[in-house]
Amino acid sequence: MALIRSTGIASLAVSQSDDLQALATRLQQGTPGERREAARALAILPQTSALLACQLEEEAERSVLEALVTGLAERADETAVLALLDCLRSEDAALRNDAIEALKVAGRHHPVLIQEALADSDSDMRILAIGILESLKHPDVELWLIDLIEHDPHLNVCACAVDLLCEVGTERAFHALELCRVRFPDEAYLGFAISLALTRLQGADGL
Amino acid sequence: MKRILIVDDAATVRLFNRQILEAAGYRVDEAVNGIEALEKALQAPYDLYLVDVNMPMQDGFSFLRQLRAQAIAQAPAVMITTEAGEQDRRQAWAAGANYYLTKPIKPDVLLHLVRLLTGGAA
Repeated sequence: MALIRSTGIASLAVSQSDDLQALATRLQQGTPGERREAARALAILPQTSALLACQLEEEAERSVLEALVTGLAERADETAVLALLDCLRSEDAALRNDAIEALKVAGRHHPVLIQEALADSDSDMRILAIGILESLKHPDVELWLIDLIEHDPHLNVCACAVDLLCEVGTERAFHALELCRVRFPDEAYLGFAISLALTRLQGADGL
Repeated sequence: MKRILIVDDAATVRLFNRQILEAAGYRVDEAVNGIEALEKALQAPYDLYLVDVNMPMQDGFSFLRQLRAQAIAQAPAVMITTEAGEQDRRQAWAAGANYYLTKPIKPDVLLHLVRLLTGGAA
């Protein structure tokens, strides 16, 4: 019995390896339909994130890109999340949006990577990373947002952080919101958003 | 009274723009993504669309491309975004935008632009 079982496992390993190689080849060289199917098949196999991430850099076909992003979201390991975060730098708005939706779930397993994105040198990256936070369900999200509105030099980053604090903030954010108003005294939208956030947070605390 | 559709997933942004435009006499509707916006536009076309680029479900460029494919929806559209990248601007023009506005929105600039694109007062 032991021999039979061993042979069976060896056969299975060879079969999976062959399948993996065939799928990788199809992902890189197939028609768009084949690449899409290969991406979906690879996404359910372990340790395929690097393959999917590499193809994401080369791929131009919309439907294959969607399958790759979905596959990386299913893998949700560090390689996958880093590849999805890289999509936020893309000039393709649809890819950026798909990546944000994927990161709202996949990012939950890697909060440190999301926190690093909030400190990225590119303000657009920081703004898009804020869009992931509400779904992250991490206990420190409010503190990350407070840190942004206290220290981030970019007006739009602070405005996005204030918008989210309006939804998820508590009385801990009061002081930082007032400080942010002082840092950007002549910005109509930010002043409006801060006033709205303070009113809502005071209302929430009063409940 | 001229009708404007604000398409943005950020509730605070929608409220800010709505208050400015309603105070100036415009009638304002809101949509939280491109799919909802297209449904509203096809029911009763607007005089102007203010469209955020980054939204869940359907981004602003995709919405505008679909809107422009409809014969009844050729009113001016302003794309609004936090990014100021040249590629985004090109995509906005290609999708059929009439103007590209970068956040933060200044109330006087918004009103001036709206009046310009809708042919005068509300």
